Amino acid sequence: MNQQEPLLEVDGLHTGFTIDGDMHYAVNNVSFSVKPKEVVCIVGESGCGKSVMSLSIMDLLPKHNGKIDKGAIRFQGRDLTMLSDKEMNHIRGRDISMIFQEPMTALNPVLTIGFQMDEVLMNHTDLKADEIRRRSVSLLDQVGISRSDQIVNEYPHQLSGGMRQRVMIAMAIACQPKLLIADEPTTALDVTVQAQILELIQKIQDEVGMAMLLITHDLGVVAEMADRVVVMYAGQVVEDTDVDTLFHDPKHPYTKALLRSIPRMDEKQEELDTIKGIVPSLKNMPQQGCRFVDRCPEAMDKCREIDPQLGEEAQNHAVRCLLYDASFPNEQKQRGVGS
Amino acid sequence: MEAAETNAAKVKMKKQSPWTIARRKLFSNKLAMISLAFLITVTVMAYAAPLLTGYDPSRVDIMSRGLPPGEGHILGTDSSGRDIWTLLLYGARTSLTIGFVCMFAIVIIATFVGSVSGYFGGWVDAVLMRFTDFIMNFPFLVFVIVLASIFRGAGIWALIIVLSALSWTGAARVVRSKVMSEKENEYVMAATSIGGTPFKVIRKHILPNVMTTIIVQATLLLAVMIVAETALSFLGFGVPQGTPSWGNMMTEARDPNVIRTQWWVWIPPGLAITFTILAINFIGEGFKDAFNPRSIR
Repeated sequence: MNQQEPLLEVDGLHTGFTIDGDMHYAVNNVSFSVKPKEVVCIVGESGCGKSVMSLSIMDLLPKHNGKIDKGAIRFQGRDLTMLSDKEMNHIRGRDISMIFQEPMTALNPVLTIGFQMDEVLMNHTDLKADEIRRRSVSLLDQVGISRSDQIVNEYPHQLSGGMRQRVMIAMAIACQPKLLIADEPTTALDVTVQAQILELIQKIQDEVGMAMLLITHDLGVVAEMADRVVVMYAGQVVEDTDVDTLFHDPKHPYTKALLRSIPRMDEKQEELDTIKGIVPSLKNMPQQGCRFVDRCPEAMDKCREIDPQLGEEAQNHAVRCLLYDASFPNEQKQRGVGS
Repeated sequence: MEAAETNAAKVKMKKQSPWTIARRKLFSNKLAMISLAFLITVTVMAYAAPLLTGYDPSRVDIMSRGLPPGEGHILGTDSSGRDIWTLLLYGARTSLTIGFVCMFAIVIIATFVGSVSGYFGGWVDAVLMRFTDFIMNFPFLVFVIVLASIFRGAGIWALIIVLSALSWTGAARVVRSKVMSEKENEYVMAATSIGGTPFKVIRKHILPNVMTTIIVQATLLLAVMIVAETALSFLGFGVPQGTPSWGNMMTEARDPNVIRTQWWVWIPPGLAITFTILAINFIGEGFKDAFNPRSIR
């Protein structure tokens, strides 16, 4: 499995926004890869650049100020950043498709479900209208919507949140894409519905045999779904490993802090653990040193001066932290940990 | 088979498109409905004019100049001996034709300019909006007067072209601002994410959401265009003198003598204009209300 060619390879991606004439990077030198049929989770707090990264892959950044500045996104060997709009339209929805966070707003309120579903197949196939409609109905069946022949004629406001998300999933898998990007697909849903939707996504991922890039801040979802996990902080990858290692042997202080913040049933605790402070905003990003330093319980003096690099800590386990960087011998380690 | 049919019937009954809701609201708005009936009546009468009068609108009859309403001439005659009732009917035809054609032309131009400008933004927007500003600041009256003198023989079409070419700017700006706010919605991104080209996204996703604004704008434009025709004709720069139009009929009222002694010459076209504009505005308000999800009706 490790020897497989990656399906998607993000390489040194810099995506930035122009704010008051200056370029600020929301995604800063991010690299990772997704193999065929693999589920990769991108984890991090709000504002870590997860969504911007997924929008970069789809080339859906806001046109007026968002821009991919450097780096490559290779999908099946082709660099997506080099493609024209026309070529990109050919890939969007057919080879790569996307599920959005908010099913309430991702469907057009004045068009019927059927109309919107037919559109995917109309964009990418030459089928006749009635054949397309038949397929749309069977896709709705596939995502577990009963009365699918009636639902196609209904409007989004007549469906519940969970059903709308099912419709979004049906649209996303209509052309049997090779990669599905799901940007917090369950965040806007009730907890009970969340589990159903995750189960559905997992089942469909299995059936269609597609790879998936799942963006979430819910580590429960990660444990449930992921093969690999990429932890992002302030626009950078801080840890990249497989799911078992992440939960049993996390290295980066940020990952550890995230794991500690999960409420546990088997421990009595007055107060939940949190990570103090917030993710630095685009304009206040530290120019030098580790970006997590202000919130890090294990911070050392040199963390403010040296930019940590993403290094292989072990086989298949990369960490961006000076604690694990062999080129900086750690006599100060003890002092840092003690605080 | 039978089951499928009952299913289909159920679907029809349950269908609750935003359009059906709006239509129901509009139908329950009495003022708008009465106005609509009035406008339709006026339109039908205008185009069926030859059936409703025996006179020729352009025939001058020196023997019966300035006759008050009475036998033979229900609404009397003007200073050239033309039948007022006949002029009113044929005039409605001219005024309404100008209004409707200008309205459609303006809606097409404004929708195109506004949606392209609002959706693409950037330099496309800058160029189109500067062009819009240019047209907007164009000295309207001077332009109309110059063109009217150049195309003296072209009849009402010269006026229609000039009016449409100079009046789309306001509507284009409204459409642009609506499109700009509409394109921030996630469904636009979702539509792009399934491989929709920009024009497909505009046509299939954004325009249906902006349509309500466009319809309201169009209704109000219809009224504005009829008033513009009337005003220009009154000044003598609109419809050529020989062609009957409500504005041209009002021209007679420039003579103080006519105002004082021959009320039947200018009151009928005055009332026709007033009531038509009023009706159109009521219909516009009705549309606005019907499309507003927060209005209670």
